[in-house]
Amino acid sequence: MRHQTQYIGFTSLVAAAILLFATSCKKDGYALPTPSAKLQNQAIKRTLGPNIVGQPIEFAYAMAILKGKLTSCTAAASIAGAAGTYMENRSFYTAQNGADVGVTVGSPAVTKGTTTTVTYSVDTNAATLRYYYVIPEAARGKTVTITFTATSSDGESISTVMGPYTIAKMDMELNMKVSDGNMMYISIGDSTVYNATDAAAHAGSVDLVYLYRNLTTSAFNHALVAPAADPQYLPGVSLPAGVNRTAKLLKTFNLQDHNLAPTEQYGGIFIDDVDFQQIDLSNSPNFTINLKQGAGVWVETADGKYRAYIYFNAVTTTGTATISMKRYPLK
Amino acid sequence: MKRNITIALTILLAATGWVACKKTTPVDSNGLLITTRRECSVSSFELLGTDYVSVRVGAAVIDTIAQTVKVTVAFGTDLKNLYPQFSLTQDCLLDPGITGMTDFSNLANPRKWTVVSGDRQIRKAYSVVITVQPR
Repeated sequence: MRHQTQYIGFTSLVAAAILLFATSCKKDGYALPTPSAKLQNQAIKRTLGPNIVGQPIEFAYAMAILKGKLTSCTAAASIAGAAGTYMENRSFYTAQNGADVGVTVGSPAVTKGTTTTVTYSVDTNAATLRYYYVIPEAARGKTVTITFTATSSDGESISTVMGPYTIAKMDMELNMKVSDGNMMYISIGDSTVYNATDAAAHAGSVDLVYLYRNLTTSAFNHALVAPAADPQYLPGVSLPAGVNRTAKLLKTFNLQDHNLAPTEQYGGIFIDDVDFQQIDLSNSPNFTINLKQGAGVWVETADGKYRAYIYFNAVTTTGTATISMKRYPLK
Repeated sequence: MKRNITIALTILLAATGWVACKKTTPVDSNGLLITTRRECSVSSFELLGTDYVSVRVGAAVIDTIAQTVKVTVAFGTDLKNLYPQFSLTQDCLLDPGITGMTDFSNLANPRKWTVVSGDRQIRKAYSVVITVQPR
């Protein structure tokens, strides 16, 4: 009886193992896909980050047909692109060394109004063309869509719509040179830097004073100070007549916006409209001192018209610095 | 057979009783463990600016008798937006907890935090006294 029980248990175990293997080795019902004979297309957006007026948005548009050849490729924007908008007439592939290699497949792009067209000049049934849409001023704060269309020799056409993409309200000014004692008066509203003479002429729009002090008693170094700040933060500065505005300033470090600092190793961050909308500067002072390369300052102007982010790209020990700015209009 | 069943039942009952009578671990309203420790002090202190970089000039001076933390901060520090960080002796907690930037601009009235011991029976109020480095 005992032997019989053991035998039944062993048999059951073997049967279960066989069943398990048989189930796990079952083939999936896979068949090689059959390519469609129709005209095919696909588009990707290659550009990352916010869409800023004056900056390009890059697309790659791929099109292919099994029989026949490609005849034209068109990109139609909902708002006409600014000067510099174009489509490559070369199709790119990636070489073994990783480099993009272009092969001319059509005539140079022709842009009429909102539409950019490349007409194929070679017999090809597959190509990937790149389209660079330079964001126009007219699109600021609006949305843009791009419709890509490919046509083939048999009269077929196919389209892909990309977007809608929201165009940022903010703008930016890169690599402004500031220097203590000379170009030291910064206007957010005018997006520029003035010397004392020009600052006096634009006194109502000067928001910040750049200065550098190498003190032995405290770490002052590079500073951005509102003209109306306590004079202890403006040592040795004689403000031009009428330069007396205040501002709200918030100091940061290592907020390396990729648009403002594209070469920074960790600059994978993008400041967008929403960051300006949400930041709270109500409790901030009107001075920031001891700023270094990589430092940044959030600013709100006294009249509440603008918020800005000023990034220190480079500084020297002789009282000069290179700064870049993103600016968002609040009103 | 009957004897075996009796032994098995006895063992089972004993095991159940042992598990059921095991003490539960006490926790406070924040879910933190209440222990038997009675030490109650600040062991180190840090103060960060809005850029999350230390604004201290020199080390903070902690007096566990006077229950004060004295810190000198750099000239030009934004006193309304500072982020304090306390290190406490084991199992202690800070009341109120630190939730973000804190206003230290009223230098005449130093801000206070209470350190609570691990057994939650001892409470010591520490004052954080800020001095601004001259220019």
